[in-house]
Order: sequence, then structure tokens, then C-alpha cells
Amino acid sequence: MPTVAADRQPASRGAIPATRRRSRLIGERLNFQIGLILPSVLVLLLFQVVPIFIGTDASFRRWTLYDPDKTWVGLEHYRYVLSDTNFLFTVLPNTFLLMVGSVGLSLALGMAVALLLHRGFAAQRLVQTVVLLPLMIGPVIASTMMRWTFNDQFGVVNAFLGWLGLGQPAWLADRWYAFGVIVFTDVWIWTPWFGLLLLAGLKSLPKEPFEAAALDAAGRWRTFTHITVPMLRPVIGVCVVIRAIDCFRTFDQVWLLTGGGPARSTEVFSIYVYMEAFQNLNFARGSAAAVIGTLIIMVAGLALYALINRFMDVSR
Amino acid sequence: MKRKLTGLPLAGSMVLGLAALGATPAQAEGTLKICYMSHPVIDANVAMMEKWAKANDVEFEKNPMSYSVYLPKMSQMLSSGGTDCDIFWHNDDWGQLWKQWVEQTSDVAGMDTIQKGPMRAFPNDEGQPTAVPLAHTVGTFFYRTDLVAENDVPKTWADMVAVGHKLQEEGKTKWGYVGGMTHQNTWFSIWWSLWTNGCDIFNPKFERDNAVLDKSGWVPTLTEDCHRETIEFWWDNLHKDKISPEGMVSYGRNEANAIFMAGESAFTFADSTFLGEFNNPEKSKIAGKVGMALWPMGPRLDHNVAWDTVWAWGIPKALDAKQKDIAKQALGAMLLDKEGQIDQWKGTGGPPPNTTLWPELASQDPVFAKLKAVVFDVQDHILSAYYFPNWPAVQKAYADISTEALSGKREDIPAVLERGMKTLHDAAVQQIAK
Repeated sequence: MPTVAADRQPASRGAIPATRRRSRLIGERLNFQIGLILPSVLVLLLFQVVPIFIGTDASFRRWTLYDPDKTWVGLEHYRYVLSDTNFLFTVLPNTFLLMVGSVGLSLALGMAVALLLHRGFAAQRLVQTVVLLPLMIGPVIASTMMRWTFNDQFGVVNAFLGWLGLGQPAWLADRWYAFGVIVFTDVWIWTPWFGLLLLAGLKSLPKEPFEAAALDAAGRWRTFTHITVPMLRPVIGVCVVIRAIDCFRTFDQVWLLTGGGPARSTEVFSIYVYMEAFQNLNFARGSAAAVIGTLIIMVAGLALYALINRFMDVSR
Repeated sequence: MKRKLTGLPLAGSMVLGLAALGATPAQAEGTLKICYMSHPVIDANVAMMEKWAKANDVEFEKNPMSYSVYLPKMSQMLSSGGTDCDIFWHNDDWGQLWKQWVEQTSDVAGMDTIQKGPMRAFPNDEGQPTAVPLAHTVGTFFYRTDLVAENDVPKTWADMVAVGHKLQEEGKTKWGYVGGMTHQNTWFSIWWSLWTNGCDIFNPKFERDNAVLDKSGWVPTLTEDCHRETIEFWWDNLHKDKISPEGMVSYGRNEANAIFMAGESAFTFADSTFLGEFNNPEKSKIAGKVGMALWPMGPRLDHNVAWDTVWAWGIPKALDAKQKDIAKQALGAMLLDKEGQIDQWKGTGGPPPNTTLWPELASQDPVFAKLKAVVFDVQDHILSAYYFPNWPAVQKAYADISTEALSGKREDIPAVLERGMKTLHDAAVQQIAK
């Protein structure tokens, strides 16, 4: 196997000119590098890129899971999805509402957790571990647990409300209560993630601006809003973009808590796609909805990236 | 020379390998691969075929799958001509979905011992059966024997409300009735009562011949009086008479069963196979206090109805003749395994498909005798689903319409049902139907 040392051999020794040797070396290096990344590229192609192409192709055909006759129907499925009032007026608003509600609340609570843990106190490590627990529990388990927590007959929430002498709502039988439970569950799962990343960000901030603020007798709130937040903007921005894109495809929580009900009122994008593809077995329509969702999230992602860049510029 | 020497060990090991193969003492006569959803009743049935395989020197391979992936996975296998499974679990809901890829089963031994009615869900285009039943799944009205005497068991909807209310007022139970209501649980509340009110989902009522339904245009019955009355009955149960919890519109059968097993409801409706769970003292506070009864009747019907469907097995058409033969032998052995089928009933509550066992079983087992009286002996049997490819979409659309009607104001019910007419019709005739 050639090494860099080969370059250092005297030119007089070889009959091959130095430029040719160098280009051969580059070629070997390139081959080696290609060899290293080839397995990953193949896996990516086979399990990501090809299925995306097959799915996109399916969206233009009559293609059911049990009877894939694959007749070309052009934009028929796209027209159906884009004129479906449920998709336009329930599914998309719910998806963006979940995104804004969950990401916003998780960010605010995550910031609070990060600030608390950054201050340092006795048993901080224990608290840190406990706070991180929701992140270690799978979303399916967390959602099933929440479904029973908010059960109107046996749930601990209603038991507590009853003990306080308050009303005991049927949480999952009403649209907005049910949506609230979904947002609560998502926030419960994701707050530690925000907390952890923001804590890392806080720990990496230089001390001097804070010392200067202290000398100028700046209060805690002023220090937080004028120094901490601006300096954390890049971290906040990255967290928000990653989580917002991830939130767009939330499935487990909604499926297990409400299944999109009552009467489709809490249905989000991923549930819509799942129902079309795997419940109604209309693989083509499900694929069309997925492609539309991909385009929407691409636009939303680009907008968020633009926002981040602006944040970065401001923080510089 | 060197080349010859290096070849020797290879040749030697090949010879030894071949010798070893030839010397294998008991070569299996064949292999039988079985794919199914893991469930106590199905497991008990698989055990019968496993017993047959062992006795006949057939290698037996079990592939249990999760229910959530079962339908897509099997659809893919059958539609692509796959032969990963020689026998697969078949459900009446999918009877028409897979008919073109499933082997005819009329020549399986013991098919003359089964009940013919439920097999209406599984015919191929020639009208021949494409499944072998493994157990009956029957909808059963359960009541608390410690709270309600047999003579006082409700015979009508009005009775059910009155008895439930009385028990609530006396503080004997928190709820009169609980049952699943969400998508895929509509049977356990709305649908059984719909059928006892002489109503159905599409016109002509109780018709399951797709050609007739196609010709009739898949017109829902939502706006007819019989249907509106059923929805209003449940609306009153939830919001006016309050014999059922308001949250019931969000209950699957797990939640409903949990309330019943916690002793907080006098009545419920579930598959008969849940009787074992209701009577399990480790899980249920009402173990030994559960009875089965005829369904309470709605105001528009004067005779009892019941549903009787089956879980079954299917054989892929794509198998070669030898594999089909092995599969049919195993299924025939299961159907004729009297001891195994009685064990299936006793161990899991899965009623045996071989009807010749029923009189004997009824004479020995009072629970089976009761089930026979309230389900199998009822003259008018309903098929509890429609058997065409768009049925899953119809089921979902119906659940959404009924939930919306039951969650709103009572006076809005007709309008919601009127709007639902198009939704339900469109779900039935959308482009995937063939």
C-alpha cells in the first residue's frame, strides 16, 4: 500500500516522473476513499434514494398495495390530496400547530432547565439525570403511558382533579383537549433534548461578557435577554430547525394517543399518509401525500435555515 | 503436484459432506411454513398443525407477526407471487381482498363439518371457498351475573338503559354499559345496535353480494330513521341518560374491557374470546361473575340477530402442488382434530370450527351451551363486515362520521349524517374498488 513516504524518495531513483507518480498516488488515494464511502453510498441508494424514486413513481400511478396494476394516472392523486378539505383545513393546520406549540414550549422549558442546571447546586447531577429520563423512554412507551395518564376513568390526572374537587374531562374525546395532550406529551419527551443542547451551549459561552454585565449592575433578566440569548442564538437556531423538521413527521405520539381522532380532528400529516397508504391500502395516494409533505417541509426548512442565518449574522 | 495436494482437502471434505448428507438419519418429508398473528386462539390452533407435522415428519416453521404489519406484509407477499408462507392467517375482513391469490379449499378434509354461513366472506369468483376456518369470532353481549339476574337481562335498548340506570342509582356500578367506539371498535357499540334495529350500513340492508351492492350504487343508510335512531340512542346513553361515559367515543376495546373488568360497568359487548380474560382472577375483579346473553333489541326489529364470522387459514395459489398438498393435509388434520379443538375452546375460548363437536361440547360445558344458545342457535346471522377492497376505508369513514355525530349536539345529528352520506359513498366507490 503506497504511503506518503513514497513522495519523499529521490526523483533520480524512479524512472517515473514526479508528476505521474503524484497523479497515480492521488488516484490510489481517491480509490481508497471511494472504497471507504462506497458501502454507505450503496446503503443510502438502496434504502433511501431508490425507495424515494419508487414512491414518487407510485404517486403518478394507480397503485394499491394488494393490486399494483401501476396504470399511469398523472397528477390525479395530487389533485385529490390538494383538494381534500381534511388535508387542507385540518391536517396541515394541526401539523403546523403541533410544530409551533411543541417546539416553542420545549424550547422555553428546555432553556429553563438548562439555566437551572447551569447555576450549579447540590445534587445537580442527580437532577440532570432525572430531567433526561423522558428522552431515554421510547416515544411509543411514553405515549401509551400518557394515554392511560389522561384516561378519563383511571387516569392519574383526573384522579388528582377529582381530589381537588374539579371537573374530570374526557381528555381524548374532545378535539382541543386531545390536541393539548398530544402537545404536552411531545413537549415532555423533547424538553430534555433542548435542555441538554442549550446547557452545552451555555457552558461554552465566554465569561467576560457576564462579568462586564455584573460590573455594570445589570439584572438577571437583562443579562439573560441581552447577553445569554443573543450569544446562544446559533445553538437555539440549530435546535429549532432540527426539531421543527422532525416534528413535522411526528407519528407515534399522535397515533397512540388519539389515532387522529376524535373524528380526524387531531390528524397530522404523517397520520394522513399512513391512513391512505396502509389503512385504505392506497399506496399511490399515500405516496402523493408524502411527496406533497416533502415539498412543504423543504420550503419550511429553507425558510427556517434563512432565519438561522439571520440569527447567526445578528449574533456575530 | 502442489495444486493436486491443495485440492485434496477440498475434495475430501466434499466427499465427507455428501456422505454425511446421505447418512442423515431422518430426512423430513417436507416443510410447512405458517404465518400468523400471535393470539392465544391462533396459537392453540397452530399447535394442532404442529402436532400433525411432528407425527408426519414434516418440518414445521412458525412465523408470528405483529397485527400492525400483517395486512401490508401479506398483501405484498400474495400480490408478488411470494411463497414465504404455505399457510397464512386469513380474516373475513380480507376475504375479498386476496381472493385471486388464494387456493380453493373445498377439497380440504373436514370442510363438510364447518358452518357454511360465515364462509360467505371468502368465496373466489367461482363461488368456491378460499379459506379453512380455525375459530368462530362472535360478538357477545356480556353482563354481570352478580348484579343482574338472568330473567332481568335487558331484552331491548330501553331495558338496557333502565337496568343500567337503576344499578347506577343504587350505587352498584359506576356505568351501565361500556364498549369500544373508535375506528375498528365500532362493532362493540354502534354496529351491534344498528343491526338489532333492522338497519345496516349500505342498502340493500344485510346484502353482502358485491355485484348487488355495486348495482345499487353503494348507497349508505345514514339518513334513514333506523340509522338516526341508533345514533340518537348512543347520544342519549352518553350525554342524557349517562349510562355510558362521555369519553367512550375515544375508547378502543382495551379501555372498555378495562372498565368492565374493574367492575365499573354492568354490561359490555365484545368478542366471545374475551370471556377467558373477563374470568381470569389475576386480571379481572369480576372473574366468575360474567354471563352471556342475546343482544338487546332495537325498536324496529322483532326477532333476535347475532353475528357469526370466522378466523381462518389460507393457502397461497403460487405454491407448487406438493406444498399445497402438505398445507391442505395439515389444515384437514386440524379440522378433524377433535381433542385439539376442544382444548382450543377450553384453553382460549375460541369456538371450534368443526360443528359436529358442538352438541357434545354443549352437553359438557355450560358456558359453551350458553354461547351456542345466544349466538349459534340464533336463526338470523349477520355478517359483521362488507367484503370488498374498500372496506377498510369505509370502516374508517364510518367511525369518523359517527364520532362527529356523537360528539356534537343532539339536534345536529341529522345534518352530520346527511353530510356523511357522500363521505361514506365515496369511501366505498373510490378508485381502488374493482
